[in-house]
Amino acid sequence: MADTETSPPTNVLIVGVGGQGVIMVSKVLAALCQLHGLQVKQSEVHGMAKRGGSVFSHVRFGAQVWSPIIPHGETDILVALEWSEGLRWLDAMRRDSGTFIADTQQIVPPIAFRDRRPGARSGYAPQSPAAVLEMVGTGFALDATRVAAGLGNTRIANTVLLGALSTALPFPVEGWISVLRDFVPPHTVAVNLKAFQAGRDWVESGSRPAEEAARPAGARVAVAARGHRLEITEAWCKGCDICVKMCPERCLRLDERGLAELANPAACTGCRVCEWLCPDFAVRVLDGLGQPVA
Amino acid sequence: MDTLSLDTFDIRAYLREDLLPHFMCPGCGHGIALRALLWAVHERGIPKDRLAVVCGIGCSGRVGAYIDANTYHTTHGRPLAFATGLALARPDLEVVVITGDGDCLAIGGNHLIHACRRNLNMTCLMLNNEIYGMTGGQVSPTTGGGRLTSTTPYGNAEPTFDACALAIAAGAGFVGRGMTLQLPALKTLIGEGLAHPGFSFIEAISDCTEIFGRKNDLGSAPEIILRQKSGMRPDTYGNIVDRPFQAKAMRIGVLGRNDRPEYGAAYRAAVAARIAP
Amino acid sequence: MHMSTRQNLQGNHACALAAIAAGCRFYGGYPITPSSEIAERMSLELPRVGGVFIQMEDEIASMGAVIGASMGGVKAMTATSGPGFSLKQENLGYAAMTEIPCVIVNVMRGGPSTGLPTRPAQGDIMQTRWGTHGDHPIIVLTPSSVREIYAQTIRAFNLSEVLRTPVILLYDETIGHLVETVDLPDPATIERADRKWATGPREGFRPYADPGDGIPAMARPGDGYRSHTTGLTHAEHGFPTQNPADVDRVMHRLLGKFDQHRDLIDSFEALHTDDAEVLVVAIGIAARAAGRAVRQARAAGMRAGLFRPVTLWPFPEDSFREHAARASTVLVVEMNAGQLSLEIERLCAQPGKVARLTRFTGEPIGPAEILATIQERARHGHA
Ligand code: SF4
Ligand code: SF4
Repeated sequence: MADTETSPPTNVLIVGVGGQGVIMVSKVLAALCQLHGLQVKQSEVHGMAKRGGSVFSHVRFGAQVWSPIIPHGETDILVALEWSEGLRWLDAMRRDSGTFIADTQQIVPPIAFRDRRPGARSGYAPQSPAAVLEMVGTGFALDATRVAAGLGNTRIANTVLLGALSTALPFPVEGWISVLRDFVPPHTVAVNLKAFQAGRDWVESGSRPAEEAARPAGARVAVAARGHRLEITEAWCKGCDICVKMCPERCLRLDERGLAELANPAACTGCRVCEWLCPDFAVRVLDGLGQPVA
Repeated sequence: MDTLSLDTFDIRAYLREDLLPHFMCPGCGHGIALRALLWAVHERGIPKDRLAVVCGIGCSGRVGAYIDANTYHTTHGRPLAFATGLALARPDLEVVVITGDGDCLAIGGNHLIHACRRNLNMTCLMLNNEIYGMTGGQVSPTTGGGRLTSTTPYGNAEPTFDACALAIAAGAGFVGRGMTLQLPALKTLIGEGLAHPGFSFIEAISDCTEIFGRKNDLGSAPEIILRQKSGMRPDTYGNIVDRPFQAKAMRIGVLGRNDRPEYGAAYRAAVAARIAP
Repeated sequence: MHMSTRQNLQGNHACALAAIAAGCRFYGGYPITPSSEIAERMSLELPRVGGVFIQMEDEIASMGAVIGASMGGVKAMTATSGPGFSLKQENLGYAAMTEIPCVIVNVMRGGPSTGLPTRPAQGDIMQTRWGTHGDHPIIVLTPSSVREIYAQTIRAFNLSEVLRTPVILLYDETIGHLVETVDLPDPATIERADRKWATGPREGFRPYADPGDGIPAMARPGDGYRSHTTGLTHAEHGFPTQNPADVDRVMHRLLGKFDQHRDLIDSFEALHTDDAEVLVVAIGIAARAAGRAVRQARAAGMRAGLFRPVTLWPFPEDSFREHAARASTVLVVEMNAGQLSLEIERLCAQPGKVARLTRFTGEPIGPAEILATIQERARHGHA
């Protein structure tokens, strides 16, 4: 008993928004702890499965764990699958010794608009990764979504972060890999293992993002050949690819940030299919003077 | 169609722009359906101040909040009940209900039946994405046979509900089905619904890309939306506007017209006939 | 000169006539014993004053339609009884949350479930307070005569308008089906209150901002505000919020919005309470029997009194405490297994002070048994 009282549990807080795989990360960690004979407690808040709903999961493990809730300010490792969610939970971390691992990907959640007045700008966290890393003991801000996109599937960004997390905990890498194998669908094992390794490599190579996290801003207006203009409001584009695939002239593409852009203005006929089918109202065909066309 | 407004339609004039981007998932068809509705509202020249949008609960229920009009986010399955009171009390308003397949056909099914039967002047736009998206992808009355959902892990064995057939049988004044893929056609259909003096029921085939699509391996958002048509692959696909729809299972377009008396007018007439002036 | 009219009127009909007089112009109903006379009378009266009656497909829809009509700016009501009242709870909570004025009459019958449909009971005392989920403000008025039904129905509309809240009119089957001779007031003398409508520019209009008295002005559709109404927890701008600080602030305003208006809300009747040793507390038909028992007790030299809350919720607790301070026994008489007793016990917080006389057989409690209990307690108190 004396032993358990002298060794408090390790506290890992995993946060993100609906659909990102927060729960998967916490389940893998919890299973791994169990494999190592540790007691583990996991508690989560989710329910609005939609994109944008806050999701968080507490994982506590050690020789003896009583409460499933991490006391405020005692999070040893904060894993954020979405940038502003990470920032929101910063003060849950231990002031000096905590580790912060975050994807710099930004999904503007509804809560960013909570105090809006007509015309007000989004209240999305303005801090840059560099400024945030200044504030924490150990911090890793990696563009996990872009790494995952490089592997062909942005949905495995959570596994990239899992790889990064694995470097911060004392479990052997083989254990992580075998648990991960059990948790992902069989046909995605290979790509998940790659993503896991990419996350480890990123931490071990000591990379730090120097630049401001990619933030979609205002509208990008392209002038097309026939005198009309195509306006893409990047802050509203979710990169669904519908406009790209539906354009009869094939003149749109997703840029390296996954946002729509007019790649071949000369071919654009101004037919407005992209405008009509964009579920996010991000595309407008304007006339030569920048006015909406009839 | 002589009353159609020929002004330029810019959807932003009808949106609460400061609330955007909306919180629907990437590729979610509800945004496209919303465009169709607002375009139709624009064409019919309905002033925003006179437009009252009543929604239920679910992803569809959240759509209304983005409209710059009088918007009401009510309780699960009940928007038609709220709208009935509103439309009777305020015949000067243009009442539009936005609902979903679960909201309208499961928990709110009884209200739909009686709204059709009553034929009170309003337009009900049901966004059908075959799923309860907000709660994490449970089976709905319109989920296709064999589909995987979070509550049909062995495939859906329940028969699929044809909402339009129900609406016609229950006596709705105007019934139609459109799909988000054919946006201009859907817009025209909704416009006819708005113009119809009675209860108009319009089912918009929408898509849940992130939850239903993922669960059933339906591919990317453009692949899913194209499946509405005929399963053509995006890379062989041409002009979506001009080709007629050739659905195998579902008919689209105007499916039912029933020019019987509008309830509000019928009520007033019945009263007037018996109360001496 | 005021023109009042004298007539023999049933309680439920008095309720309907009062609603019309109060300016109610929409009724969304569903048939249920013993409230149906209200719907029937409203279906007859409303068209005569340009109003609309509709019988909806179910109880849930009737509550929804009532709220919908009121959202449109028309005073609206419905009436029901136990099982129907249970079904209305979700939408009732919506009206409380979105602060849409409306009046709901619950003519109580024996429960639970289908219970005793034609028999009187007072089993919904707690359901009117806590029937819908979550903390919420609610006003419940409980008349005990036909004349009082008329007055309290008008008051229910006025309170609901002025305070932007659902108001429940709660009475038992006996009162609802009671026929009494009443003098109805001249409609011209009736005070009618209307909700505060938003005026001024749309720019900067915040539909749920506290103007100081806790009651925001309502935006009427068509007036150009184009605001949003949601049952989700919403901040002052009317759109949802989950931010704990916002939720705390807006919920405090909502839950405390009656605090400044208790003088308007609280109402009760006190009979011989000044020096009462045994204080009887009762509502509805039970209070009428209790009143007679108290007078008989007084005639027999016992110091008995009656405290009858007319506003049941929020309970007029300050007044009750004053009137109960000198009593050695508070006797709660109610037609249920003991609901009002819970509130009275909470307020007295003195072991042995509160006695209960309860019944749930579908029969009213008569003056004789109340008198007997008073006698017993009075003796007890002297001993
Ligand atoms: S307007 Fe037509 S041609 Fe131009 S980008 Fe859009 S879809 Fe392509
Ligand atoms: S359709 Fe809209 S949201 Fe989708 S990629 Fe194109 S611009 Fe972005």
